[in-house]
Amino acid sequence: MNKKTTQKRQIPLIEGLFTWPSDEPHLIGGRCKSCSTYFFPKWLVKHKPNCRERHIEEVLLSRRGKLNSYTIQHYPPPPPFKSPDPFIPYAIGWVSLPEGIAIAGIITGAKLEDLKTHMDVELVVEKAWVDEHGNDALTWKWQPV
Amino acid sequence: MRQVAIIGVGMHPWGRFPDKTFVDMGVEAAVQALKDANIGWQKVQGMAAGIWVWGSLSGLNPGPLVASALGETGIPIINVFTQCATGTDVVRVAHQMVASGECDVALAVALDKSPEGFLTYPANQLHPDMHDTDCVRWKMVGLTNPAYWAMDCRRRMEKYGTTEHHLAKAKVACSKHGALNPRALYRKVFTEEEVLNSPMVCDPLRLYMMCAVRDGAAAAVLCSLDKAKRYTAKPVIVGAATHGSPLYGEASMCPGLVAAATPGETPLISESWVAASKAYDEAGIGPEDIDFLEIADNSSWQYLHYPELLGFCEPGEMDRLLDEGATLIGGKLPVNCSGGLASFGEAVAATGLAQICEIVWQLREQCGDRQVKKAKVGMGQTYGMLGNSASIILKR
Repeated sequence: MNKKTTQKRQIPLIEGLFTWPSDEPHLIGGRCKSCSTYFFPKWLVKHKPNCRERHIEEVLLSRRGKLNSYTIQHYPPPPPFKSPDPFIPYAIGWVSLPEGIAIAGIITGAKLEDLKTHMDVELVVEKAWVDEHGNDALTWKWQPV
Repeated sequence: MRQVAIIGVGMHPWGRFPDKTFVDMGVEAAVQALKDANIGWQKVQGMAAGIWVWGSLSGLNPGPLVASALGETGIPIINVFTQCATGTDVVRVAHQMVASGECDVALAVALDKSPEGFLTYPANQLHPDMHDTDCVRWKMVGLTNPAYWAMDCRRRMEKYGTTEHHLAKAKVACSKHGALNPRALYRKVFTEEEVLNSPMVCDPLRLYMMCAVRDGAAAAVLCSLDKAKRYTAKPVIVGAATHGSPLYGEASMCPGLVAAATPGETPLISESWVAASKAYDEAGIGPEDIDFLEIADNSSWQYLHYPELLGFCEPGEMDRLLDEGATLIGGKLPVNCSGGLASFGEAVAATGLAQICEIVWQLREQCGDRQVKKAKVGMGQTYGMLGNSASIILKR
């Protein structure tokens, strides 16, 4: 009998948006060295209108920030998002980073009733859902510190 | 640029029409507008048409398909796509065709068919996921459109002390107007209690604090002012038809994106601020000269934010104006006399043109119970995700 053990893998749901594998993942953004404008994802370039040099580079964004605002999503979003069944309400936050950019992400590791704006949060990478091959499809999330 | 008038408008009912194609609905609205303008289709010399996203390429190309049903004449037809600002922008394009002298008569048509529930991600198979920011927000964050508004709304509540009662009152105010509008899909007058008891969708926005999505279509016929009197005794003059894009430093949470600048000096939803500022310049007036306002109340947040952004009152002041009933017909600043998206549901591309229909009817004094007394100048404003906003000022 030929037994094949399939290893469950952890794969970013969309490649190139955060460093992986990593114990301390970072979002991969972009920055213009001349006008100091940060942007995410790295291909959604932004400059100050009067920027002369337009000298862009890839940057790893700060892992910590402050919760600028949040909401709790009470109904399952349509595809391509996949929610657990039965659906459990989840929180989404908008997090201000020291670079002057704010990034959205699902909030994890906190009770919904404990959420407060201005709380310190940290980037984590976690499962979004299990894909059709049985692998964990990963996304970034914000976790209160 | 010469002056332009709207000489006719038409509006297909809003609702669900599974047995009608988007072309059917656009044609009906166009035929109505042409009849209202007392003008034949063959006199139309230019056309602008728009839809949001339906099907494949034919669903991005409504103009020639509608013209085909009206009878192909070879005129320039521009398909306009500015998301939820489309309905205002088709009129802007038609306005430019006439104002420039290219055409004496132009037709603007905007139409849409919506899915059930949340507006969803229309898949694009031609490009990998990672370059599609709209795909990133769905897959990586599960961000529905109302989730964005909810986060902006929470920031507003913390900044100005806006309460859930204000959010509920916005719906109540729109429903009072919708009840007076025979064309409105939803004509029930809501109480604050009913709104506050509706299910939470994206905290703090409850179901009745946000609009549904529906099918709809509308059309307008534009004509140079010097020729308009041949067709109508009540030409409505275009004071301004403008469009704006975001300014650097925009800090609003824009549907379709997962990043924004951190809050700073830039007006929140700068594309709308720009469009409105240019509209006031072009029309040579200020917000104090506007008699009534049509805005896209996708949720109670927009209802509160927009009049402040457009300079009708101070930041945070809409809460008090709502409390005082100032935004009702008969008040200091009537908002959404049509009943707004709350009373119609949103047909994405058609909203702006539905606003324009209402403004025209108000200025012609054809609004019966919901007539704004001595209406002389009206303004419409729409905002489309990913950086689109359009303003229109019409006057008698």
